[in-house]
Amino acid sequence: MDQTTLLLALLPILVIQLALMIFALVDLIKNPNPNGPKWMWGIVIVVINIIGPILYFVLGRRNY
Amino acid sequence: MKHFAILLQKEWRENIRNYKIFWIPAIFILLGITEPVVNYFLPQILESSGGLPEGAVFELPTPPPEQILTAVMEQFQTIGMVVLILAYMGTIAGERKSGTATLLYVRPLSFPAYFLSKWGMAAVVSLASIWLGFLAGYYYTLLFFGNLEVVKLLQMVGTYSVWVLLILTVVLTASAALPNGGLAAASAFAMYLLAQLVDGLFGTNWAVSPVKIPQYAAAWLTGKPDSGSLGGAIAIALLIILSLSAFGSWMAWKNKARTKV
Repeated sequence: MDQTTLLLALLPILVIQLALMIFALVDLIKNPNPNGPKWMWGIVIVVINIIGPILYFVLGRRNY
Repeated sequence: MKHFAILLQKEWRENIRNYKIFWIPAIFILLGITEPVVNYFLPQILESSGGLPEGAVFELPTPPPEQILTAVMEQFQTIGMVVLILAYMGTIAGERKSGTATLLYVRPLSFPAYFLSKWGMAAVVSLASIWLGFLAGYYYTLLFFGNLEVVKLLQMVGTYSVWVLLILTVVLTASAALPNGGLAAASAFAMYLLAQLVDGLFGTNWAVSPVKIPQYAAAWLTGKPDSGSLGGAIAIALLIILSLSAFGSWMAWKNKARTKV
């Protein structure tokens, strides 16, 4: 398999990660009352791969 | 029946608004893709991580496609189950806490329909996620490691789905019975670990055990599980699902006084 097809094959991983991050960020910006400081959740979502957005969705939203 | 349809609509809307319908499948697809990719690049990863003496030569055997898909299932068994438990820990307990439940409970509500609507929506979302995850994993396995019959994958995923439904039912029942979502998740997770521990310690001869369903699911890839014990295990799992659902609806009814207004 040559380099370009490999890169194409790996593209979905990047896309899904970015989509998760963007979903989480948009929701955080709209959220009037997150569970904890907003800037902290922003850092968590952007810095921690995959787990960061999950953490925000599970713990950061007050819906549990 | 009319109750159920309306409640299901409410659940559908809620799952869209809290993005569960997007992020749970995304996680499972990601888990499914990562496993074959990491296995494919393992030699390069080892090389670049360093710490090896100069001129060390590795002969890594290429794993067969069955092994990769089994590894995907193991990922689902650990991270995937934690994600499902955390995502659905608050379905009923959280509603009592946030006050949504007040709006529901003042109406003449059928509690079995209420519980069933939650269960149905959670089942749709998590089964779709699991199937998409396995599909993504299967695609990448075909791409990197060679062919595997689709029938085997379908048999495995079908068997594994029963296990996912069992876990979901445990989480929802815990959420109905316990005062808050955190406790529900903790107890569901404790039960999950305890069942696996007991089955691992004493269960070598219990062929008909619902905890062994994932093992039977993996067995479809290489051959065929013993159909008698598989059928028995699935029957017991369905029985547990039914009785826990009944218990959960009853607990949801019993706990309705705990609703915060």
